[in-house]
Amino acid sequence: MARPEASAPDAVLACGEVRTRLLPTRQALDIRSAAQFLALRADERVLLSERPALYARSPETLTGVDCPLPSANGSRVRAVGTVAARAALTEGRVLQTSAYFRLPSTGPDQRRPWGHYLVRPGVVEPFGKLLPEAIAEGVLGGGRPGDLDVGLIADGLLTRLLRHPLLDQRPPLRSRPTRLRWAALPAAPGAGPSLERFTLAEDDLRTVRLRVPPAIPPDRIAGLCDDLALHDWLLTTVVHLLDGVRFGAPEPSARPRPGDDRPAAVLALRPAVDHLLHLWMPRARVASELAPLWDTLERQPGFTRQWQALVQRIRDQLTLHAIPALYREAELTP
Amino acid sequence: MTGAESVTGAGAEPGTAGALSGSGAGSGAVFRETTADPRTQAVPLSHLSLELGHLYMEDFEAGPQRLREHFARVRPWADAARAAATVPGGRRPRVSTCFLIDDYFARFSSPAELVPLIVEEAGRAGLTVDYLARESGCAVTGKVPVAEAVAGRIVESPPPGSYGLRPPARQTGWLANGERSPVARAPQAMKRAVPWEPPKETAARRHSVFLDVELWSDDADGHRLWSCPFLAAVWQLARLGLLRNEGEAVFVAEQPDPGAFPEDWDELPSLVRLNPRADPFAAYRTASVLPSRFLPVEHAVRVVLDQLDVDHGALRQVAERSAREHAAVPDSVADRVSYVFYAGP
Repeated sequence: MARPEASAPDAVLACGEVRTRLLPTRQALDIRSAAQFLALRADERVLLSERPALYARSPETLTGVDCPLPSANGSRVRAVGTVAARAALTEGRVLQTSAYFRLPSTGPDQRRPWGHYLVRPGVVEPFGKLLPEAIAEGVLGGGRPGDLDVGLIADGLLTRLLRHPLLDQRPPLRSRPTRLRWAALPAAPGAGPSLERFTLAEDDLRTVRLRVPPAIPPDRIAGLCDDLALHDWLLTTVVHLLDGVRFGAPEPSARPRPGDDRPAAVLALRPAVDHLLHLWMPRARVASELAPLWDTLERQPGFTRQWQALVQRIRDQLTLHAIPALYREAELTP
Repeated sequence: MTGAESVTGAGAEPGTAGALSGSGAGSGAVFRETTADPRTQAVPLSHLSLELGHLYMEDFEAGPQRLREHFARVRPWADAARAAATVPGGRRPRVSTCFLIDDYFARFSSPAELVPLIVEEAGRAGLTVDYLARESGCAVTGKVPVAEAVAGRIVESPPPGSYGLRPPARQTGWLANGERSPVARAPQAMKRAVPWEPPKETAARRHSVFLDVELWSDDADGHRLWSCPFLAAVWQLARLGLLRNEGEAVFVAEQPDPGAFPEDWDELPSLVRLNPRADPFAAYRTASVLPSRFLPVEHAVRVVLDQLDVDHGALRQVAERSAREHAAVPDSVADRVSYVFYAGP
């Protein structure tokens, strides 16, 4: 019986990778341009939302795969199916591409006609049985060459979008893209979802290990991880921005360019105010059953706490610079 | 369900899966944004869509005798297909018949002349043509570029070893059921000629039946001509109720004034209901009665259908409704299509 998204046995693992970066345009895209930018298919609408913030999401596209799954225990389980990928734009400013799939615990012993896989979008079926734990760790740790690489699929979609003629390739501030890999194992029967680990790995890589009730569809888990990736990227970007600024009284040698008497700190912080500070809105696009997972990160390390401290610091600096230089120096220099 | 093809009767089911709202789908959220929720219009569905023939210019030029012969040959197979379309509980299956006219590759005659002739000749063989479709409608219907949208839904079957990089052997405008032979290059000095390697069907059982299908060709002015197999694949999707444009149904039957068919094919809707009491046009399964010379085309149709990522909302609706009425529908879209090939012109 045809049941496009239910006929596969319950998923024992869902995995994905999100790429997050600043949209390389001088001005943020408005909602209409966002819809045009994300129209990956001629016959499918881009989903648009204006509350609580502008947000646009592309239709899902599929990529076929037939390769071994990454695994931590060295087993090479071959799997066949499709990986789903989509792109999203927050406030016309932050671009994310997200690729994900789910795995049932067992699959057929040989490859089936391709149409079988296409009516199960985002499902990759293993040959024989698999150990979800080993695969989850394999995905998070990165596989060997030739293993399934969802990051490549997210990256391929990102590359395709970055060639769009709507982009003038003039970003208003310096920032680095980030990658967030995630793996969601099933929660114990009756237990709710939980966030087991959030790791800041190398420079731009984050890994997230989750447990979720098997009934939750993977696109919602991907939605949660997109939201985590977006806010982690905002923190990373603003921290880097503040890192490069020299605070305190301007040195005579560091005078700004002639004709521009704004201090360096103001020049450096202004783009954050213009383009980033209004984007902080955790949980805005997270399914209600997964929203509580944010609380874990709010308790420790405290994402919103850090963000508020950064925002306060930026505002304080700008306020200081609003005070005429004469008084400022007089009061601050002992 | 009555025979009337009423889309309002089926209603538009708001798709909740994949909605943007943070509150979770179907949780009785107070606040909703219509642009944030995917919607897929439902279409009424029969059990079987039975195709009584394709008409090409050469058939028409062979005279009305050819049509008469065609319907006479089709009749027993059409009866057999109907008899095979049983539904559980002994209820009457909903079966609609259709006929396709090629007005895309060549223009001939006119609706005013041809449509009454088809109805008459079918009637003479004891057949009723419920719906008549124009092949051009599979390329563009109204303002919707149907063929182009379907081409954008091709997800190629990955050869073993595909781990996320785009398939390297992609050929624009062609679609194969496996891996092509490596391109033979002219041997250069100091380099040996690469020995020939066979192409390989991905789903081969021991030996390959490799097929490479041309989907379209572009002429010097950049005008795209869709191939016959590709349009036939679109035609199958239409009959399976799986075509949508931004969630709206495409290929909705219109009922013209009886006896007032236009002189120009462009003025005839893409899909016309000739029998007011017909069961719905789209169906869970299709059966086509065709002369055997269509076999290669229909093999190509299968290769295309097997690699199309059709509208998920439409797929879900078909699955849910067929499950509700206990009508088994094969998983794979290509398996919902069947044929009778008869010996004939």
